Parts: sequence; C-alpha cells; structure tokens
Amino acid sequence: MKKDKRDDQSPDLTRRRFLTHSGTAVVGLGMLSSGLLSAKTWAAAAVGEHASATLMRMARDIYPHDTLEDKYYAAVLTPLAEKANGDAELKKLLSEGVKELDNRCDKLFARPYLELENEPDRVFVLRAMEDGAFFQRIKGDLMMGIYNNPELWPRFGYGGSAWEHGGYINRGYDKIDWL
Amino acid sequence: MTTKFDLNDDSLVVIVGSGAGGGTLANELAQKGIKSVVLEAGKRFKMEDIENDEWKMFGKISWLDKRYVEGPARIAKDFPNLPAWIVKGVGGATLHWAGVAMRFQEHEFRMRTENGTIPGANVLDWPVTLKEMEPYYYKAEQKMGVCGTEATGMPFHGKSSHYKVVEEGARRIGARCEQATLAINTEVRDGRPSCQVNGFCMQGCRIGAKWSTMYTEIPKAEATGNVEVRPQSMALRIEHDKNGKVTGVLYADKDGNHLFQKARLVAVAANSIESPRLLLNSASAMFPDGLANGSGQVGQNYMTHTTAGVYGEFEKPIHMYKSTVVPGIVHEWKDNDPNRGHYAGYELEVLHLGLPFMSAFLNPGKSGWGRELAESLENYDKMAGFWICGEDMPVESNNITLHPTEKDQYGLPVPVVYKTDHINDTRMRNHAYDKATELLEAVGAKKVNYLPPYPASHNMGTNRMSAHARDGVVNKWGQSHEIKNLFVSDGSQFTTSGTENPTLTIVALAIRQADYIADQMKRNAI
Repeated sequence: MKKDKRDDQSPDLTRRRFLTHSGTAVVGLGMLSSGLLSAKTWAAAAVGEHASATLMRMARDIYPHDTLEDKYYAAVLTPLAEKANGDAELKKLLSEGVKELDNRCDKLFARPYLELENEPDRVFVLRAMEDGAFFQRIKGDLMMGIYNNPELWPRFGYGGSAWEHGGYINRGYDKIDWL
Repeated sequence: MTTKFDLNDDSLVVIVGSGAGGGTLANELAQKGIKSVVLEAGKRFKMEDIENDEWKMFGKISWLDKRYVEGPARIAKDFPNLPAWIVKGVGGATLHWAGVAMRFQEHEFRMRTENGTIPGANVLDWPVTLKEMEPYYYKAEQKMGVCGTEATGMPFHGKSSHYKVVEEGARRIGARCEQATLAINTEVRDGRPSCQVNGFCMQGCRIGAKWSTMYTEIPKAEATGNVEVRPQSMALRIEHDKNGKVTGVLYADKDGNHLFQKARLVAVAANSIESPRLLLNSASAMFPDGLANGSGQVGQNYMTHTTAGVYGEFEKPIHMYKSTVVPGIVHEWKDNDPNRGHYAGYELEVLHLGLPFMSAFLNPGKSGWGRELAESLENYDKMAGFWICGEDMPVESNNITLHPTEKDQYGLPVPVVYKTDHINDTRMRNHAYDKATELLEAVGAKKVNYLPPYPASHNMGTNRMSAHARDGVVNKWGQSHEIKNLFVSDGSQFTTSGTENPTLTIVALAIRQADYIADQMKRNAI
C-alpha cells in the first residue's frame, strides 16, 4: 500500500525534514533547562569530558550570545549526546568531529581547540569545517534550540504565539515613540 | 456537504487543486449549478490545526514531496530540495499567503510591446488587457474582502509600528509608501471576523480574518451540493480519447488505490510546478511531449518574482512582529522605467519574519553562523525591513522537467526545477537593495542585512497564456490551445509575472474562466 506518511509525522520529524531540505540537519528541542547536568559534565558520560567541553565551546562560537547562560547551549547538546549513546553512527560523528577539530587546530596553532584563546582563531578553524556533516549537525541543532526556544524568545524580544492573547490589536501594535 | 459523485459520471468538471485558482473555480461553477469534483493532494485541515508557530506550521502544511532545485543560483545550494514554499492541503497556498491583493498595472499585460525584444528573455504580451480584467478584479476584491478598495469599502488596517518606521524613511527620501490592500478583514464581513493582528498571516490565519479558500470558497461550494472535494487525492495522469479530448483523471487516494474519475472537462490548478508536471506525465502516443504541449512551452518560462530580503537594525525597539505580516508597500519603483538600468518594476513590501525564521533566512545555508549573525539576531526587536518583489523575466530555460530515473511516493518522476536570474533580474534586485538601504538608513538604520531569495511562494508561468498556439499553452480563457476541454486555472497561466503578488489575479482569472466555461458548456462547445 502506498501512503503519504507525512500526515502522522511529529513536529520534530518535520523540522528535521526541512533542515535536511535546507542542507542542515537538526533534532527537536529536547528538554530545555530542566533536569540538566552541570554545564561541564553534561555529556561526559556519552562522549567524554574533553569532547563535551569542546562541543560546548564550539556551540558558543557558532551562535555566540555572551549573556546567554551555558544551560541553554547544554539543553541542545545534552539530548544530542544522550542520543549518541544509543546511536553508534552519531557517536562516531561527534567523537571523530571533535578529533578532526583538534587535529586542524594542532596543525595551525600547535594546540587543541579548547586551548585557543582567541575567538578569531577558533572561528578560522570552524569555517574550514563548516561544510561537513559534523559541523552542520551541531549548527542545525543549535539553530532550533536557541532561536526556536520559546523560553528564550522574550530575551530576543520576540512575542511568539499571539492569537490566544487576542493578538496585538489592543496590545500596542501601533506603538512607537522614537520616530 | 456530503455530495458524492460516481467515478463514471462523465458530465462533471474535474478540478485538480483547491487553492486560489481551483477553489475559486469550483465555487463559481457551483453557484451556476455546474457540478465538479475537486481532487486535492493534501489533507483537510481544521481551524484548530492552525498555530502561531513558524516551524510547526511549516512542517504541518508545506508541500515537502521530493523535488530538486538546479542551476547556479544560491537557492540551489541553500535549499537543494525545496524550490517552492507552498502548501499541500485543502485551500492550497491560500493558507500561506500574506493576503497582499494588488491589481496588475496596465502596461504589465503588454511587456513585449512596451520594451521590445529583451535578449535572453521570452517576453510576450498577455492576450488579455487590464480593461478586460477590471470587472473581474472588482469581483475578486469583493469576494476576498480586500481592505482599502472601493469594492469593499473596508478601511485599511491602521499603521503598525513596523509600517510607521518605513513610512517615515520613505517620506525622507521622497518615495511613495502606502498601507497594503490586504484580503484580510478590518470589519466583520462575510461571516468572518476582523483582524486582531496576530502577526502570523503566513502560518495560516488562526481566526479566519484572512481570505483562504479553505474556509470560504470550498465550504460555500460544498454547501450548494454541486461539489465533492476529495482530499488526499493525488492526480497522476489525465487521459484522453482517440479524438484528443480529455476523458478524466487517474488519481491515487489516501490508501494508494488508483481510481479514475471521468470528466466532461478537466481544469488543472495544482500550482506552477505540479500543473505542468501533470501535463508532462500525461504524455501519450497522440501527445508524446505531454498534453497541451504542441508549442513545447509546458513547464517552460518558470517565474518566481525577483525577490530578496532587506532588514535594517535600528537603535531602538520596533517589534515588527506586532503587525499584519505585510502592513505596507513602497510603490515608488513599480513602473517600467528602463532609465533605472532595468526593465519592469518592483515593490518593496514591508514584511516581517518571526525570530525562528529570521535565524534561518538572514544568512541561509551552511555558512549562516558566527558573531555577526548572532549580534544581528540579538537586535531582532529593533529590526524593520522588506521583502523585495519584482517582475522577473520569463526565460525558457527556467523550467520544470521530469527526473529521468527517480520516482516519488506516488511512482511519478520527481520534478526538477531549474531557476536562475536573467541579468535584468540581477540588476533589478541590486537596484532594490540600494533603494531599500537608502530608505532604511534615512530613518536611522545602523546596519542593513541582505537576504538572498528563499524558496518561492509565487510560482508562475509554466503553462502560459498566448494569443497564438505556437507561443504558449493556453488561450485568453486558460483553455488549452490544443485540447478544448482542458483548462489551466492557476498562476501557471501567467504570461509574465507583473510585480504584484499573484493571488488576486489568479482569483480574477478563475471568476472570468468560470463565466467562459459555463457559456461554452451551455453552447455544447465543450
């Protein structure tokens, strides 16, 4: 039987599908800020201390928002690392990605990624890796986890769903005081 | 509501698609007592399915069947499988459209005469004039409830903060800027409420203030008892008899069963990728290049408008999302003035995206990351800007073809979409980038971002109208030059794109086409 299976896909799956379309992989939002390990150890059990610290640094270099706490980045990385525990291919993608990142840094700066103090140096290395599956996986997950995270929308000044509040017709759609 | 027609009933009109073209045609015919079956590939959504959530709605309603984008344009790299951003569901792209309803300008129906031959472009005059279209535009505006028009007498929406910033910038550089004529109620009208400014027009209007065939034309058509809508019914092939007249449509139902619905007449309104695809997939011994394709123009001259985004970052908050998605239009450059360095015109449409989509489109593709992007997104609440929408040149090699080997879930060859700029498109876009920048900086923008074109919601031209059979696919009524009982009823009829958003013109053409079909059926000409 031929059937269009899309009808019963979850939002996570469909999101992933779009970002596959757009050349970027992604997973769903995961659990946000609840029940997380501390930022340093969040993924150590899955990919080891070094890899987990490297991924955190990398996440903060991909979408650097200096005032955002680590927990928001960890909220993206934790489910990814947990998934890697039961997914050998993903685990390999992450651990080999970190290895490759360190190798490239070693070649250029004689130090691993975590020991590069200058952001431009780290970005230089990441730019050279940006077309790869490892980088795109992390970037895609982060894009959804940071910018599609309702918990963070107020921090960016975005209102989210409005219809249940009666829209903005009586909530300042025409207000602007600096023109 | 429960009308059921027999598969062997060959007195029916079969309409493929339920959007602006197909949904309107079905209702117009139904009001005249003409019976039709509407085959819609997507499912039927309920109002409760509509959410104010960009990604959720994208995943829920978009047409995501496998497609390829080819060509040197950046979109082929950024969105290799997503040429178009349209809808698979009852109501089609009228769920997603922003409601912008503008008439074509007079000269836009005769761009060939206006500009002569443009090398590398396949420009043709429409076989229709604005004068002929005017009464139908009026009817379309009434039907859809377009605010700010004489046809409805409904007022504009009122100036949102986003609009006010642009209006002031336009004033400072002497450009003409007006609130948008939107098919979104500003009063209770036609059984639908007035807009409450949710700001999610393109995710489907949760309260039904925006016109969509999903909750206007379709239920009205069904209420007559003259229409049966069959959702999740994908048209596979149009069949014909030995005289070359079409006899019905083979389609797959939701369980994958192949059914053949007989017809007196078939109208194709499946949007500008699927409509030519269906005609090409219907090739036979008598029509080896596909139905209605004696001119070789089926699938050619694919147009999407010349588009891009421009967003300025200001020092103080604007909250552009607290607005109808398109609160206004800068009309200054919509005329055809080759002295600007390009033919045809464009509109700067004030338009907002939510934060989730802004993060995806500000710098789409693999390299969209880093501090500059992050800092811009931190200024999301201080942004204002545009979607550029300009006439693009019909170019034969911009086209829809069938993949030679790969098949989709229905067993049909996957469509391949080739689209790239004509040099005129590039020049126009650059002009629009410059003017938008000037305007935004005049009112205080500190930084201006340039967004490349994203997947197209305006898809046009692939079964174009022409006066002569050799130049196009259908005549001035949307009727195939070759097959008298085969019609095209969507934006693929467009001879050229105009600068205006296509929906109002699609609806006006469908109303006009219904009159013609009714007349021809009465005379037994079809």
